Amino acid sequence: MILHMSKVRVLGPGDRLPEVLGVVQDVGLLHLAQASAGPGLQPVELSGAQQRRRRHLRRILEDLDASTTALGCPEDRSPPSPAEPNTAALARVARRVRRTAEQLQSRIGALEEERELLEKYRPVFAAFDALLTTGSAWSQGRAYHIILRFGQARIGSLLREHLAESLGAEFELRQHPLPGGETAVLLLVPASAAGAVERLLSEGRVQEIPLPSGYSGAPAEAIPAMKRRIAAIPAEITARRSEQANLRGTHCARLREARAALRDGLARIEALPLSVGTGHAFVLEGWLPADARPGFTRRLARDVGETIVVEELARERWAAEAAPVVLSNPRLFRPFELIVRMMPLPRYGSLDPTPFVAVFFPMFFGLMLGDVGYGAALALLSLVLRHRSKPDTTVRAVSEIAGAGAAFTVVFGLIYGEFFGDLGRRWLGMRPWFDREESVIPFLGLAVALGLVHVLIGLGLGVASALRGHPRVALGRGITAVMVGLVLVGLLAALEVLPAALFTPSVVGILVAFPVLILAEGIVAPVELLSTLGHILSYARIMALGTASVMLAVVANRMVGALGSTVVGVVFALLFHLVNFALGLFSPTIHALRLHYVEFFGKFYSPGGIRYRPLTHWTPSPNHQA
Amino acid sequence: MDILAVTLSAALAVGIPALATAWAQSRIGPAAAASLAEKPELSTTAIIMVAIPETMAILGFVVAVLILLRAGG
Repeated sequence: MILHMSKVRVLGPGDRLPEVLGVVQDVGLLHLAQASAGPGLQPVELSGAQQRRRRHLRRILEDLDASTTALGCPEDRSPPSPAEPNTAALARVARRVRRTAEQLQSRIGALEEERELLEKYRPVFAAFDALLTTGSAWSQGRAYHIILRFGQARIGSLLREHLAESLGAEFELRQHPLPGGETAVLLLVPASAAGAVERLLSEGRVQEIPLPSGYSGAPAEAIPAMKRRIAAIPAEITARRSEQANLRGTHCARLREARAALRDGLARIEALPLSVGTGHAFVLEGWLPADARPGFTRRLARDVGETIVVEELARERWAAEAAPVVLSNPRLFRPFELIVRMMPLPRYGSLDPTPFVAVFFPMFFGLMLGDVGYGAALALLSLVLRHRSKPDTTVRAVSEIAGAGAAFTVVFGLIYGEFFGDLGRRWLGMRPWFDREESVIPFLGLAVALGLVHVLIGLGLGVASALRGHPRVALGRGITAVMVGLVLVGLLAALEVLPAALFTPSVVGILVAFPVLILAEGIVAPVELLSTLGHILSYARIMALGTASVMLAVVANRMVGALGSTVVGVVFALLFHLVNFALGLFSPTIHALRLHYVEFFGKFYSPGGIRYRPLTHWTPSPNHQA
Repeated sequence: MDILAVTLSAALAVGIPALATAWAQSRIGPAAAASLAEKPELSTTAIIMVAIPETMAILGFVVAVLILLRAGG
């Protein structure tokens, strides 16, 4: 549900506004809004000193954020110290730490890049080492270190033929294969033949190995230097990391604390222009949950004094569209708020679909995946995610949604008699209550029937939400719901699933309801009605994905006997089950989401709600710590 | 009924919508990726947009199953 909000106005002596904002921040409940100016009430503007302080705080915070990121400071959600630090000293420290931390980070990054680049040359070093030690020493002349790419091996023999023709026996050409399919070639020729050899290499489009920047000269000299460098880099990285760790140990706690305190200070300064004043008094306006209003009033009176007045604005004096939205649901449903929050929030005064999502989303998911084995695997995955996440994080919510999906998957798996496809029936003697592998048409009927129920609930919620402000829309949605029911009854009667006697009354009902629908919704009503019928048929995807899932699982099991070797068959079957499990997580999730967002929400959902952001103490986002 | 005609009909019933879905997704996918690069908060809308044309393939699959079952029955 969406919490009932109160809009309050806080009035007090102008000089006590900063103090009041401090208490409001401590309480952490008031979502501030721009207070309405009126006769004698002017918007409060920041003084020159306050503007300078705001700029100063922003600059320090930029340095603090960059420092903590560069140092990799772990986030800490402990409350900040109430005292604001000495900003002049802090600004100097933050700038210095930022500069040092960024230099260290950049140096470590450069060293790692250099190591990575040189590591790519390691097989080449080994190849040329082998070439140099297997043959006779070549003290005079010119050495060429060449890498022939995959597919260029023939060039090696052509080169040898050409060199034999022009130089006779006065050259050595040694080859060594590299792990990637390339070939290392060491070519040794007399210095007098260097020009001819280079022409030959150029014609054959063969180049010497490209050396990394910083290594010039012949490869014969560069390669030993590169080997020395690659040996030295790890020690340099360790030294830099140790410097980084020292810096982290010295500064992280202080920087984190200062960052939180400064963010709080900045938030209070930025809240000042939201108020209006007379020169002697100030007026603040904002929303808070209605239940919390008495406590808020008492706290202000206790901490600031009786000179502060908190009055509630009557509901008629504010528009619902301007009020922030707080979703509040029972513990069991709360993780599913994540699915609702993935869309723009519902508008204040409209309906929160979370309870419906909490029931139907895992149900649709389970209906599609429906397998005891896959359900157990998903439950395991959900437990691991839960164990590794912290409360109130996205990962925790995902783990709980996965847990609900796993429960429904196991339940429907028992109903379908499936355990990794047909293994349950073959090995465990499971008996299906509903065999979806065989009963394709009843499964299709079940899917569409669920769609009908879901869409009718959506239309019902649409009627309920439109009834207050838009009775004509409510009438249109109600008539659409009735007509959908009548169309269905008529179809089932025509197909003799329902008694044929119901056909005529349903057709008469449709003929009567149709003009009313056009009057209520206009000329687009028939299109809307057809679209609603299409939405119901869209739930056939539950059957389609479910059937595809069970068929893939059965095919995976049949691989064991079909590939000749049992071991190969089992490996393929396991791989196939793994792929099917991955698909089984992804596809049902996407399609269950789509059924909610498009088919269900489309009937009643009013997006455009404003997120509730009370003035409160800053804490790092919980998702940073998941 | 001629088994060739039945299987061909079922294959066309699922194949043509699948091609249509693939074509639609090939147009929506890059557009969604480009939108996400500029506005990551549109990820839900992007996923839904990419999933919308799958309805064609899914309904094609349902029709193909119905063709095969009718012929089998």
